[in-house]
Amino acid sequence: MNRMHTRVAVALAASVLVAVTGCSSKSAGPKAENVDAAGFKSGPGVTDKSISLGVLTDLSGPAAALGKSAVQAQQLYLDQVNAQGGVCGRQIKLEVRDHAYDVQKAVAAYAEIQPNVAAFAQILGSAQTSALVDSIERDKVMTLIGGNPAAMLGHRHLQLINPTYDIEMINGVDFLVTKAGLKPGDKIGVVFQDGDYGSNAAEGVRFAAKKAGLEPVEQTIKATDTDMTAQVSALRAAGVKAITFSGTPAQTASLVGVAAATGLTVPVLGSSPSFVPQLMATPAKAALTKMFYLSSGVPALGGDEPAVRKLVADYQQKYPNEQLNQAVEVGAVNGAVMVETLKLACAAKDFTREGITDALRSLTKFTSGLGEVQDFSDPARVPSRKTYVLQPAEGVPGSLKTVQPATEAPGVADYLAAKH
Amino acid sequence: MSDTSTTPRPRPESAAARQRRFGVPLLPRRTPSARRTALAACCVLLLAWPFYLSAFWLQTGLFAMTAVIAAIGLNLLSGTAGQLSLGHAFFVAVGAYGYTWLAGDDGRSGTHELTGLGLNPMVAFLAAIVLAGAAGTVFSPLSGRLRGMYLGVATLALVFIGQHVMLNASSVTGGFNGRSVPPMEIFGMAFDDSTVWMVLGVPLGGLERLWYFGLFLVGVACLLARNLLLGRPGHALGALRDSEVAAAVMGVPATRMRAAAFTVSAMYAGTAGALLALVYQRIVPDTFGLALSIDLLAMIVIGGLGSVAGAVVGAVFVSVLPQLLTHYADQLPLVVPPGAGGDGLGAAEAARYLYGLVLVLTLLFAPGGLARLEVPAPPWWRTRRSFRNT
Amino acid sequence: MTTFTQTLFNGLALGSVYALIALGFTLAYKASGAINFAHGSLLLLGGYLVAIWHEPLGFYLALAAAAAGTGAAAMLEALLLRKVRRTGSTVPTILTIGVDILLLTELARRIGGDVLTAGDPWGSRIREFAGITVAEARIYSLLVSVLLVAVFLAAFHRTRWGLAMRATAIDREAAELMGVRSDRLWMSAWALAGVLAAVAAVFLIAFPAPGLDRNTGHIALAAFPAAVLGGLGSVGGALLGSLVIGMAEAAAAGYQQQLSSFGSGIADIAPFVVMVLVLIARPQGLLGSKESNRV
Repeated sequence: MNRMHTRVAVALAASVLVAVTGCSSKSAGPKAENVDAAGFKSGPGVTDKSISLGVLTDLSGPAAALGKSAVQAQQLYLDQVNAQGGVCGRQIKLEVRDHAYDVQKAVAAYAEIQPNVAAFAQILGSAQTSALVDSIERDKVMTLIGGNPAAMLGHRHLQLINPTYDIEMINGVDFLVTKAGLKPGDKIGVVFQDGDYGSNAAEGVRFAAKKAGLEPVEQTIKATDTDMTAQVSALRAAGVKAITFSGTPAQTASLVGVAAATGLTVPVLGSSPSFVPQLMATPAKAALTKMFYLSSGVPALGGDEPAVRKLVADYQQKYPNEQLNQAVEVGAVNGAVMVETLKLACAAKDFTREGITDALRSLTKFTSGLGEVQDFSDPARVPSRKTYVLQPAEGVPGSLKTVQPATEAPGVADYLAAKH
Repeated sequence: MSDTSTTPRPRPESAAARQRRFGVPLLPRRTPSARRTALAACCVLLLAWPFYLSAFWLQTGLFAMTAVIAAIGLNLLSGTAGQLSLGHAFFVAVGAYGYTWLAGDDGRSGTHELTGLGLNPMVAFLAAIVLAGAAGTVFSPLSGRLRGMYLGVATLALVFIGQHVMLNASSVTGGFNGRSVPPMEIFGMAFDDSTVWMVLGVPLGGLERLWYFGLFLVGVACLLARNLLLGRPGHALGALRDSEVAAAVMGVPATRMRAAAFTVSAMYAGTAGALLALVYQRIVPDTFGLALSIDLLAMIVIGGLGSVAGAVVGAVFVSVLPQLLTHYADQLPLVVPPGAGGDGLGAAEAARYLYGLVLVLTLLFAPGGLARLEVPAPPWWRTRRSFRNT
Repeated sequence: MTTFTQTLFNGLALGSVYALIALGFTLAYKASGAINFAHGSLLLLGGYLVAIWHEPLGFYLALAAAAAGTGAAAMLEALLLRKVRRTGSTVPTILTIGVDILLLTELARRIGGDVLTAGDPWGSRIREFAGITVAEARIYSLLVSVLLVAVFLAAFHRTRWGLAMRATAIDREAAELMGVRSDRLWMSAWALAGVLAAVAAVFLIAFPAPGLDRNTGHIALAAFPAAVLGGLGSVGGALLGSLVIGMAEAAAAGYQQQLSSFGSGIADIAPFVVMVLVLIARPQGLLGSKESNRV
């Protein structure tokens, strides 16, 4: 009796299955690329009226402050483009997903929106991007990423913007040599976080130090450290004349604060992710404005460049309660790269996935007024080699001012030649 | 289990006692035939799934399957043997990286030189399970001697030491940026998107085929665990949990049994890990953090300790609920869609709140686990049953 | 030599803060038999309350109010746990995870990307002695921790409250028969755990740390091994364990050049390596009592 019951159920279910499979939306097969009457090719996420772009970022995790600023700035830029008619007569829409810095959530969100977007306008988080690299290459979906580790170079559909962390540091050490009057034989402290960001930056410092005849004194820190006393003591005992730092902003405040308090008043040069304006509310403020410098691929928000001033004004108008930080510029640049790419794809009448990547790769002299000229033709090479040196300052947007315009140190070319 | 041969054969349990002990499925707790029908319907539903669902839902389902396998294993340890483990993320990682290393080839990933044995994926899959078991055995000086909460916190060490190894042994793991996972291949048929089968007019790509592989693994995992629980080892472990002295008097070698339970549990975690690697297609160390361990523990407690059904229900609950909540959160009042700006409650935050709340409420009102909840059968079912019984 | 003295002091200072956390953790474990995964969030709550109240109230009043607030939050959590007391220790442990998710999500949302300061009176002043440099806040953290722990130990061993605590920990039923109101005791232990967490938070966010951010609570994870290697449920063990863990971490950071062959970032896992080594030698922890079984 029982067995019969089961059999009936199975048979019934199976026949229903076969009958209904015909209705499966999947049976249509993968969405083919369309070619319309005007010879316009389009792929996923593109219609006659709109283009959908994906964003995977952190809006509620540890990097939420930066993620939120970047997305809002990007949205702001796209809103302005849409107000002027969009690209190719199509409005650009962002599909945003919050991965909260969690790899599994990022992978799930990617699977969710990938079939419906033309490209990813932003993916934030090194671990999250690393986990998705293979999928991005397989799906051939053009992707702009937030971080700048050199390990992310060399993928056809993946692109970072601005110099990588090692280049930032080679330029930065060059600045320190002049600033602190370093001579061959002097010691330079290298404090960096374990992981691809810190070790990539440290690689650059090692190269630049060797070139300038400096002796590096290395200290690794972990991501969760907040007290830099031990590191500062070690550097002081070694008698360093300058320090490079690649860690979190909170760690910057501790390092600079302790160094100043213990009389180690040497210039400290940080990687681009090592500062947020919130640090100016900590006791380390005085020391930061005196000793700290930031190597960055984008100019300070407090600067006079017309594009920067316009961005600051527009952003403050749209989000009056938000604190400005450097991620605003990064988001706006991402938006601009995306729009330029889509315009080229429009000119080539090819909005397929491959077509969009081809368009990006034909952008050899991209400039948005926010940072230096970028060349995206070769996925294996850094798009630009020049960095600015910024310094914390009170009372300016983003709490940073530019102290050295975009510069490329002589060592960068040698470094890249040795790598390739 | 020749070492337990001195143990007198356990007294046969009544059906009711057995149900209390080993748990029963969530829905109608009526008669075997009703259960079997429900189970069969479930199976058919699961088999038909890939014909309808998008990649996102398939992936969610596959994440749930890995969770089910790992949770069953953890439940053998925590529920049946009374040993707490917060280190299972490590064994999941051993399975994942083990498979990837064994099946992968030498190569480069970014700046790292990678090594790999290039074994047949099927062989590598099995070897990865053995490897995870071996990792569990290596931990036996602690797992055999520590009890309950002590073991729980001691196993925390595994997660953190494991992270350290994953980041530093970059020739095996690819370091921070991780490593690509070679696709599964059974009898020369690869589980990737290079070939697409058409079945009933529906294309079945890599993910769809992986779904069936996952279902197969879940089935095997359930059956093995059930047999283990109903057999002598299950009774020995249960006795050990209830009273070590009494168990020892009955001839259960406490230290060895506990270590063995830990090893078996680690093998389950390793299986889950290898499957997880196949779903991810690229694995990075961040995936295998403490959060994974804690989630696994939450699964077996929410589902109900000590039963296979409990582990299954809990695993599905914990792994699918946050996905569902995140997916639909922006349709709740007061919640703004991600990226909309302003100070509204973000969708991911709303999902976290709801998940926390559901977790607390479930434990407060169903501390015995979801699988032990009595769900009243629908009236039509009852009438039919009573009709049949007369 | 200087490195050694510096490492020694850093270890002591770190260990003393761990002691406050591990003590609270041990008290909660003694009272409810559960590992309190929400301890890090309680700590974050304490720090957050000090940070938002120190401007209107002044530092000391804010600290008192924050300690009271955190104690109250801990008691609320204890109330929840009491409901599932009969189910053993695993269900309450998972319940604390649920509480942690709720508390952490709310606090993280409020803190956002900010770095908040406690407004403590020590500022960024430092002291130099014996060739080493020490932040003043660290000296106070050492003194206050020693003082708090001494007061606690005195109360634990000399007052009726302490006697009742010890009696309940040994045998709840017998203690209740002797007139101990175990429910109240339970609550007081949790409240104390909350207060200690708030004090620890202040020292964790004072200079040389930059201030409170959403990740400050993570430090409580390092106190887990401290409590376990000392012997779960043993107050002396928690203190000793904290000292050992603090020293191990400071040494791993101070001598990282010499330890580089173990891979970078060894300080990260030093507490756990030490814990595993201790547990292999003594499964009951340093000061934990070996369970004896009566038949």
